[in-house]
Amino acid sequence: MKRLFAIILDAILGSAVTSMILLIIVPELTGLSVAPLLVIPATIAWIAAATFGGASIGQLFVSSKTERPLPNGLRSHMGWIAFCSSIVAGWIVTDISPIEFFSGEGLKGAGRIFGALFTPEFDVLGAALDAMVVTVFTALMATIVAVPMSFVLSFAAARNVMTGGTHERVFYVLLRALLNIMRSMEPIIWAIIFSVWVGIGPFAGMLALVVHTIASLTKQYSEQIEDVNHGPLEAVSATGAKRLQVLWFAIVPQCVIPFLSFTIYRWDINVRMATIIGFVGGGGIGTLLTQYQGLAKYNEVGTLVILITLVVWMLDVISARVREALR
Amino acid sequence: MSLLSVRNLSHTYPNGYKALDDISFSVEPGEFLVIIGLSGSGKSTLLRCLNRLIEPTHGTITMNGQDVTHVSDAALRSHRAGIGMIFQHFNLIPRHSVVKNVLYGTLGSTPTLASILGRFSSEQHQRAMEALDVVGIAEKADVRADALSGGQQQRVAIARALMQNPNLLLADEPVASLDPATSHSVMDYLERINKDLGTTVICNLHFLSLVRRYATRVIALKGGRMVFDGQPIEITDAWFRTIYGEEAMEVEIR
Repeated sequence: MKRLFAIILDAILGSAVTSMILLIIVPELTGLSVAPLLVIPATIAWIAAATFGGASIGQLFVSSKTERPLPNGLRSHMGWIAFCSSIVAGWIVTDISPIEFFSGEGLKGAGRIFGALFTPEFDVLGAALDAMVVTVFTALMATIVAVPMSFVLSFAAARNVMTGGTHERVFYVLLRALLNIMRSMEPIIWAIIFSVWVGIGPFAGMLALVVHTIASLTKQYSEQIEDVNHGPLEAVSATGAKRLQVLWFAIVPQCVIPFLSFTIYRWDINVRMATIIGFVGGGGIGTLLTQYQGLAKYNEVGTLVILITLVVWMLDVISARVREALR
Repeated sequence: MSLLSVRNLSHTYPNGYKALDDISFSVEPGEFLVIIGLSGSGKSTLLRCLNRLIEPTHGTITMNGQDVTHVSDAALRSHRAGIGMIFQHFNLIPRHSVVKNVLYGTLGSTPTLASILGRFSSEQHQRAMEALDVVGIAEKADVRADALSGGQQQRVAIARALMQNPNLLLADEPVASLDPATSHSVMDYLERINKDLGTTVICNLHFLSLVRRYATRVIALKGGRMVFDGQPIEITDAWFRTIYGEEAMEVEIR
């Protein structure tokens, strides 16, 4: 079984290397549909090598070092071969093409778009500012709506709070899993979902950000809660306080400042995300940007890009300053 | 009748470590009981079992004739509310003012919502100031707790415990993070509370000189078992080596 696994791994990695070498030698093959066929002879060659020659990359992964130390020669370099072949495989699947990058026509296109971006058309500035205001407020509203929910949920997502028996433990695990799933789904996907649900516009964008913000802030908040000094918890419990009082008087005062800091940073992140979300129907400056980009009006796009950069940079500076002051 | 009675108390931590092994003793009202023993001998665990910050694995604890080992949440809270506790690291809420910290001693008898909204009665405020007066730092009432020195913080913690009008005061190594002079000042306040207010005190201590000076009775733990129960004067060199090991040398704090 292990042997088979090793051979399969060899086949995959080996064929990648072989294909790469061939492609470097004969770059014209890149554009041809026969390129994938190269994989077949490469695979056969590597299976042969693994079976008869003992040159196995796969064995690097399936056999432990103590079991069998790698001998000299080819085998001792298997790690490097695996690493290089990954780069090679990556080169192929990403369609990396220096020829395209430096081709005369390509460079001309780049010159055109950069030229347009650096000669912005300021007629759109009014509309752009309006849209920017929408984006900033979308992010702000998403943050404001998400904060109270995250605050409440974070206690249920903190290991040191959920100590009341099996049912709390189960709830904690389920909540953590749900939050991880919510966080793993990029806001842009949530934006697509909500733009169908409530229609294209800032509201859909806000909802998408709310979901992602709840997931992210709850995680950050709860990690902060898990980090609090246990002493005040004991002291407040010892006065005969109820659980809610213990949370409020022993945990919250220790967390307020970090929570504020996380929240401001999250708003900052949300402004950037709100821009991206606009591309898929989340409203604001992102939507405006896709519109002008679709019309190939790159001078107008230039104005929007400058405005976005300015606002994001400003917010970044402000939020960094505020967080610094809070520390 | 004894104020507190502990019968066959054992505690085993989830990792299997047996911190307390079959401890039995009674405490009479008005005693100043000191528990001694090496670090890890179970002193802190024992103290925390008494107000059930740590759940005993076996045995019973009876306070004022009532078994408090197997009681509901509400009864447990009222049991805790009757016992003040102070800690080695004071455990104040650092960002809050001194007087607020003292008011938190009344949480057990204040409705949740009122307390969260910060609505403590004027009577409670008045008692908080009186408690601060007892420990001599009423003038610091509006200062943030973390702006105080260690000894001052421990006095605020004592004031917080006094707000509970406790029958019993637990002190878990109250002077272990303080310098010698401050240690005596804090111990003096505990003694005054014990003598003037008649509050029973159970206190974990490290220094035998302090034990001899303040205790009316001493219990010694070793490896989770009780190895001594008697008067401070009875702790001879032989007992000292039994409790702290053959290699031990007494260090004094004056």
